[in-house]
Amino acid sequence: MTSKPDEDVAARWDAGALGCGELVIELRGRLARLAPGLLFELVASDPGAPADLPAWCRMTGHQLARADHPTYLIRRRSKD
Amino acid sequence: MPGKFCVSLTNAKNDPDRATVGFVIANAAVGSDQETVVFVSTEGVRLVEEGYADDIHEEGFSPLKDLMTSFVEAGGIIWVCSPCFKKRGLDEAKLINGATIVGGAKLVELLAGGAPCVSY
Repeated sequence: MTSKPDEDVAARWDAGALGCGELVIELRGRLARLAPGLLFELVASDPGAPADLPAWCRMTGHQLARADHPTYLIRRRSKD
Repeated sequence: MPGKFCVSLTNAKNDPDRATVGFVIANAAVGSDQETVVFVSTEGVRLVEEGYADDIHEEGFSPLKDLMTSFVEAGGIIWVCSPCFKKRGLDEAKLINGATIVGGAKLVELLAGGAPCVSY
């Protein structure tokens, strides 16, 4: 958790109550469209998100810059 | 660090909850950069005939057709048990995009190589 609250966010997505596979498959596509190193703000109210999103970031190489459920700040990985 | 992941799916309209959750988890796997195979067998093979899954919409989830489409578009692979498909008299010409008919050796090779598998 290294990012400051005022860091520039390049894109945002309110996923609402979407969770599990439906959340991460869409999140994957949105991060793929972002330039490397940029910040993405996600709002995900699903109760599984606090456990899933750190795991997803570990698997995909994206950096979870901040987690304050339901808001997550993710820095896009530098390489695909 | 991509790995391989398998979802074994044996249900269709006989249990739309299991059929749907199988593809939800498959989406979670492919969405997490895992090389993901859904292996459909027994009743599950019905899902890969064009049009069959169009009216399966389990409460609390996206329609199954949408889940299957997003899975394939993200690079997911669907393997279809050959004898299960033939036994039910299904039409190979109506296979959905992304589905391939295979024999058991393909699944055995995948799992013997260390890929984990979850069943629905």
